[in-house]
Amino acid sequence: MTATEGLARLQAQFAAAVLGEDGAGFARHLAGDAGAGLRGLAIYRNAILANRRRALRAAFPVVARLVGDGFFDEAALRYGEACPPGGADLNRYGATFPAFLAAYPHAAAMPWLADVARLEWAWHESLAAADAPGMDFAALSRVPEGDQPSLRLLLHPSVRLVRSAWPVLSIWEANQPDRDGTPEREDGADDVLAWREAQRVRLARLAPPEAAFVDAVARGLALEEAAGITDAWDFTPMLQRLAVHGMLCGFSTGDRVPA
Amino acid sequence: MTARFPPCAPDPRKAGIGLRTAHFEALARSRPALSFLEVHSENYFADGGPSLAWLERFRADHAVSLHGVGLSLGSADPIDREHLARLARLAGRIEPALVSEHLCWSSIGGEHLNELLPLPYSEEVLAHVCDRVSSVQERLGRKILVENVCAYVRYASSTIPEGEFVAEVARRTGCGVLLDVNNAWINSVNHGTDAMRFIDALDPSTVGEIHLAGGEVTAEGVIDTHGAPVFPEVWALFEKAVARLGAVPTLVEWDVGIPELAVLLAEAAKADAILASSIERAPRKAAA
Repeated sequence: MTATEGLARLQAQFAAAVLGEDGAGFARHLAGDAGAGLRGLAIYRNAILANRRRALRAAFPVVARLVGDGFFDEAALRYGEACPPGGADLNRYGATFPAFLAAYPHAAAMPWLADVARLEWAWHESLAAADAPGMDFAALSRVPEGDQPSLRLLLHPSVRLVRSAWPVLSIWEANQPDRDGTPEREDGADDVLAWREAQRVRLARLAPPEAAFVDAVARGLALEEAAGITDAWDFTPMLQRLAVHGMLCGFSTGDRVPA
Repeated sequence: MTARFPPCAPDPRKAGIGLRTAHFEALARSRPALSFLEVHSENYFADGGPSLAWLERFRADHAVSLHGVGLSLGSADPIDREHLARLARLAGRIEPALVSEHLCWSSIGGEHLNELLPLPYSEEVLAHVCDRVSSVQERLGRKILVENVCAYVRYASSTIPEGEFVAEVARRTGCGVLLDVNNAWINSVNHGTDAMRFIDALDPSTVGEIHLAGGEVTAEGVIDTHGAPVFPEVWALFEKAVARLGAVPTLVEWDVGIPELAVLLAEAAKADAILASSIERAPRKAAA
């Protein structure tokens, strides 16, 4: 057994003892009296679970408020068991928490909960997304008219689209710190656009054709194809809205990928 | 690549504070004289956005220390190259005066426990840790500081006293030491060891930074919470440490239940006074 193999075994056993609450089997690796060793392992277990809970709570404050502390802490614990962090950066922990909630039996009575979580994760990702230079509108205006249908637009890295069958934006808004939790709408679908502008994440509700158009642009479709997704709908106002709020940052024509 | 920021070294006669989101506005307004600002490196691993923009803004006025909590230097897993690449990218962007990590492990078998877990102090582990520190220093193209951690358990397989272990990592790799006086004190209380013996084992020329923090006294022992004022006993040990080491850039850590900026600045001012008195007694020869 090499030195690293010995260390790997010790660390794996430590992790199992701490997370599995089976400290007794690990006690033989510890110095000092057994009681002190078990108390030490319990301190680590509490700290590890608290760190994970705190990270999820920071990323999903609306979900936490909706379900209450006891429910959230239990869900965080079960999620940590099912999907432990794969990296050291806890700011990126929780990407699969919405999917976990979608399948979580105790959340079955709240079918909109997972989509609220998806919206919160989109917000979270948008805040930390890469910066990008603004669109070169002078260059864009020089694109010959004949090439315009083949224009492909590059969206800013902070742009996210969350499409839900539930009124997730109303729920999200109603559960901000200054609101009492009563949503303005309790049914109906919400398509929500998230983006970062002046270093703040903004959210806006889109009409269905607008969402379909943004989704098509995000998938890299040419303008002509993106516009064709919804019949008899003028995409120009939506395009202007994307431009005015800094959501466009590049373009290409023909078959080239935008850069 | 040309430097984007003026070179900026921490002033060993003055303490620094941790940079916290809650204090961004107040700090930018009041611009207090601080030796340096320290951040948890991982909190600035974002690709872009406001956190990095703020940090760059503060870097224009202050020396910055990047303090990592996630590199898992002592893990038996391979070093997470993506994590290290993000750290290198951040260091390239911020041009920090100090880069530090913990002498601990936090991941195994690809699972991250997100906690600073203690290592057994043996010859085998020493060799392993030294390889890793060297590899990190090579990738970053700079010296790092390694910090002694708080240990709530001790291993039967430890054969080297902690102070000697830390000193030997510095001697073999050329890295510096971030002496956490609070961790040294808590370990001495919880395990009945001598904190000053730990500090005496270090080569003063390798100690590049000192940490102070508060904790909580519980039935299970003293816990390093970073959520309270520094213990009187820790201030006393800090005085003895700087009497031996000379003035070293010092940080008061406060990571949970973060108080108003004024409270942090008052803790930093206490450290300033102790650093100043140590300089009167014995000027430090050269900053590490």
